[in-house]
Amino acid sequence: MNAPTPALVARPERLRLVGQRRQILAVMHQRLMFGMIVYAGIIAIIALRLIYLAAFGDHAGRKSGLTDFAPERADIVDRDGQALARTIDAWTIGLHPAKIIGNKLDIARKLAELMPEKDAAAYLQMMRSGRSFYYLRRRAPPDLVAAINRLGEPGLALEREPDRLYPQTTLAAHVIGFTDVDGKGNAGMERAFDERLRDPELRGEPLTLSISSRIQQALEHELGDAMTKFSAIGAAGVVMDIHTGEVLAMTSLPQLNPNAAGQGTPEARFNRATLGVYELGSTFKPFTVAMAMDSGIIKSFGQMYNCPQALHVAGRTITDTHPFGRACSVAEIMKESSNIGTAQIADQVGPTRQKEFLRKMGFLDKVQVELRERGRTLTPGANWNQIETMTVGYGHGIAVTPLHLATGYATLFNGGIYRPATLLKVDRNHAPGKGHRVFSEETSYKMRALLRLVVTQGTGKKADAPGYRVGGKTGTAEKIVGGHYTSSLVVTSFAGVFPMDEPRYVVVVMLDEPHATAETFGFHTAGWNVAPVVSKAISRIAPMLGVRPDKRREPNMAEVLPYVHEKAGH
Amino acid sequence: MSARGFGSVIWAGAVAGAALGFYLVSLRVASERAALEDVETEIAMAQRDIRLLQTEIGTRGRLAQLERWNVRFIRLSAPSADQFVEGGFQLATLVKPAPKPAIEAPVILASAPVEANVGEPRLTGDADNGEVPMRTSRPASEMVHVASYTVPQRSNVASPQTAKPAVTNTRPPKPAVTNSRPPKPAATKTVKTATADPLAPLSSIGSKAKGSAPAGSGISTPKTKSRDSDD
Repeated sequence: MNAPTPALVARPERLRLVGQRRQILAVMHQRLMFGMIVYAGIIAIIALRLIYLAAFGDHAGRKSGLTDFAPERADIVDRDGQALARTIDAWTIGLHPAKIIGNKLDIARKLAELMPEKDAAAYLQMMRSGRSFYYLRRRAPPDLVAAINRLGEPGLALEREPDRLYPQTTLAAHVIGFTDVDGKGNAGMERAFDERLRDPELRGEPLTLSISSRIQQALEHELGDAMTKFSAIGAAGVVMDIHTGEVLAMTSLPQLNPNAAGQGTPEARFNRATLGVYELGSTFKPFTVAMAMDSGIIKSFGQMYNCPQALHVAGRTITDTHPFGRACSVAEIMKESSNIGTAQIADQVGPTRQKEFLRKMGFLDKVQVELRERGRTLTPGANWNQIETMTVGYGHGIAVTPLHLATGYATLFNGGIYRPATLLKVDRNHAPGKGHRVFSEETSYKMRALLRLVVTQGTGKKADAPGYRVGGKTGTAEKIVGGHYTSSLVVTSFAGVFPMDEPRYVVVVMLDEPHATAETFGFHTAGWNVAPVVSKAISRIAPMLGVRPDKRREPNMAEVLPYVHEKAGH
Repeated sequence: MSARGFGSVIWAGAVAGAALGFYLVSLRVASERAALEDVETEIAMAQRDIRLLQTEIGTRGRLAQLERWNVRFIRLSAPSADQFVEGGFQLATLVKPAPKPAIEAPVILASAPVEANVGEPRLTGDADNGEVPMRTSRPASEMVHVASYTVPQRSNVASPQTAKPAVTNTRPPKPAVTNSRPPKPAATKTVKTATADPLAPLSSIGSKAKGSAPAGSGISTPKTKSRDSDD
């Protein structure tokens, strides 16, 4: 160690060397220190992160989103809480051509076997095309999904996506409406309340309609039967609470299955109850009489009018199916549904007052209801003169929707107050629409006996449901074909109210182009085809609505009976 | 020196222990939260399943389907106005209580043959049966009493002038018989034993008959004696 020290004084080269080593050592120390600090920092960061996660972080198994379960789109339920529309998870079969690993030809053949809507060549072409994704089937049935899954091909994707299901199928289809494949409302309430149904804050709460499934079913069934029996091309029906304006049932036939709305014909998708406008004929007559009573023209149902065989006005001839050929009272005019008599009453009311009343009842505008499918009413417009006033008086020359008519009857019998129809249940969340007076209460009261008379003795005898005190008016309107009214094609309707001694519900039923059958003895008037529907429907729905049948109760018939000649008519 | 050295170790240990404690608390909280979330998830899944099942049941039992079954097979129709009643009272008037068979009737019929011997010629048919349930106690008592006395009278003593009128009028015979009684007090004694036998199974009814017997005939003393002896 000490041997190789020939000189105490190191040579300058060596000194330089030592100096260099020291420098190098210092640099190395610096670097080491730096590296250590870096490592320590990283470890510290990791440790802090771990501590943070341990203290505040979520655990690894957290499933976000599932804990707050809410459907993608709010349910629609009826007034009793029965589901009418629901969103469920449905299977979707997709194809990712790029991910296919098996033999494309084999797969294409098997797909064609399972889903025969396309042939194997088409599937093969899809797989060979450059596109990244195809929908093979949306809303696939479970057995098909299982079969596709058994193929074990990763290029065939099975996914769940929310899908709208209508458990009651065709029930109230035109009220509920339907959605497109992307879950956007396309018709009915689905369309009218699309925003509300999709609103994340509100979609946990179902949308409660005023529809009652059981009443709807009864109405649809009876109407459907009549439609088949009389070979009509369409039908519509409305049941409404006259005090709140709630629509308890509304149907339009032919039926539509909203689960496969795309497959329905345009005819089936058409809502006759709110979108279709029809000349509803004699069902308008009570309005004319009420207008005249409110204006002080008719003071009693015994007021007499001259009812000739035919009335000639402004080059037109008004006729009756059961002409009186003598003087007749207002009660008789209504009982036998005389156009001639009503035309004279309407003439006395005059166009101005008539228009004003109709405007107040909402007959000149689109019907007031939540749906978007609302038809524009057809009126004489600017050309509203004497003859138009007369024809409108008995329901010709003005075309309104069946829902209009139901609202009008509700107005007439709830004490004279117009209230817009609503399809939402009236409760503490939803107040009934704001009403305004159209007819006086006395008029409303007196009309009860008049319409009851039509059912007990007049044209609407077949509409009577024993014990339920049905009152109402038939209407048979001829359709215009090629610019002329033809007697072979008619629209028959019946607007009824029950129980007549204390009116609560209105039923409007309409058949489009019914035909005569042997049972109706060749008649195709409302008294023969729609009136029985009303009778059957009311005897089914009235007990559900809490109306007790009572054969001993009647409205005050003393208002009308003295003015009816026994041998009048027929 | 050493104490100070251990002091730092203890401090470090205490801090580490506290940190560990805190960590354990936090871990515990996290695990509880996780368990809670699992439960919530389970609830959500159950709700979804319930919805799914409800939807399925609703779809299978949809009203249109029920209607179809009703039209084809069940054939229920809406109730008519007459099928509704005003209330409990009216409902009660619709129900007629089931006729209750008169319990004493068979008893009387059983004793009837005894009486048939008395009013011999025409006390057999339905005519008598019809009357019996109407006034149950009276005929029963009458039959029994009359039978016990008259049979020995006719057979033993044979007094035709008194017996004939008794036979002609079936029900009123008693006054006739009672008139004939006083002459034969001796005969009654033998009869007493005879009456005891047919009445033995009817002892329970005997008391009832006894109550009505005094009103029936003026001479009740011998009968009551005989009855008492039976009881």
